[in-house]
Amino acid sequence: MPPKSAQEKARSPVESLWKAYNEDTPDRLKFVDSFLLFLMLSGIIQFMYCVLVINYPFNAFLAGFASTVGQFVLTASLRSQVNPVNQGEFKDVSPERAFADFALGSIVLHFFVYNFLG
Amino acid sequence: MHVFVASLLLLVASVHAKILTLQSPRFVVLDSQGQQSRSEPISLTQKSRNPVFLNATDTLKVTFQVVDKESGEGTQPHQTFLRFYDATTDEEGIQPIRVTQGGKAKLELNMARPPLSLPPTGDVPLQVMLYIGQPNFSPIAVELFDLHVPHSQPPPAHPDEASFHLLPEIHHIFRPDQKLPYKLVSAVFSGLVIAPWFLLVGLWSQVSPRLTHLFSPNVLPFILSLGAYEFLVFYYWVDLKLGQVLLCGGVLAIINLFTGKHALSSIAKRRLNKD
Repeated sequence: MPPKSAQEKARSPVESLWKAYNEDTPDRLKFVDSFLLFLMLSGIIQFMYCVLVINYPFNAFLAGFASTVGQFVLTASLRSQVNPVNQGEFKDVSPERAFADFALGSIVLHFFVYNFLG
Repeated sequence: MHVFVASLLLLVASVHAKILTLQSPRFVVLDSQGQQSRSEPISLTQKSRNPVFLNATDTLKVTFQVVDKESGEGTQPHQTFLRFYDATTDEEGIQPIRVTQGGKAKLELNMARPPLSLPPTGDVPLQVMLYIGQPNFSPIAVELFDLHVPHSQPPPAHPDEASFHLLPEIHHIFRPDQKLPYKLVSAVFSGLVIAPWFLLVGLWSQVSPRLTHLFSPNVLPFILSLGAYEFLVFYYWVDLKLGQVLLCGGVLAIINLFTGKHALSSIAKRRLNKD
């Protein structure tokens, strides 16, 4: 194994992870990841509001929180199925099939969420 | 009107009916030793002015003979009753009197063993009435005297008595109005909730893939029908009923099925060709 340079040693694991992610991840997946990040932050803030301030329009909270969580799950599964690295895992699922599932699931989720919105 | 006709009929009937009368009607009050403390004739036209007092050991004796006024013969009436009535409590007791074939009647009321027909009594005297009825004779209904008897136990309450009272009025208790948070807090959290949108737009502007085929005739109908679905669900929130949404959603589903199949298969074909 070649000795690592001093510069490389100084780099923290987090930093190297970030670099690897930036370099190796296709733009399409980054696009999905940014949406996931958005959903996560949005859900966390709604939950904080409910816990710290008031849960008053509770149905609205349920609708908002459930939409972020549900959309996160659907998007995460879409991401894992279209990821080229996982192609071995999902041999029978084409990316198009995954997107169709995602669209159908999202529409059903949105229908339920709007029902809760009141 | 009905009452008038009925009373007229009764009057006509009583004109033709024969008349009963009582011969030597009398009541006697005996004490526990059998000594007479009071003995009076009964008047059929007037109620006795002095009420009758009975102690716990006294006995009241009522005797009379029922006779046909015309022939003067004793008759046995079909119905003969004494009625004890308490006007304050509306309680009453009916005591049948046994009459012989010759029309002689005798009733003994021993207060040491009061009959079951005596109603519960309090401070108010019982009104004692005599009723005699016989077919083809006009009936007799006379008030005899007021009767004071020792206090009885209060009447037992009916088991269902408690159910027949007004229930306490229902007061609805409502939850207090919801307190709204301060405007500042609301504003801060509104900003916080909106903030991820800016982050999303910022990130997407960095990494957005090139949408080369979005407007191709193969894909565009699918995107449009998906958008129509989202608009339908949104409009459901604003104005629509569930039935309308399901109907429109069903129609859209068919469109979506074909457009989606076409669009996705065209994309898949392109992808496989590229590979």
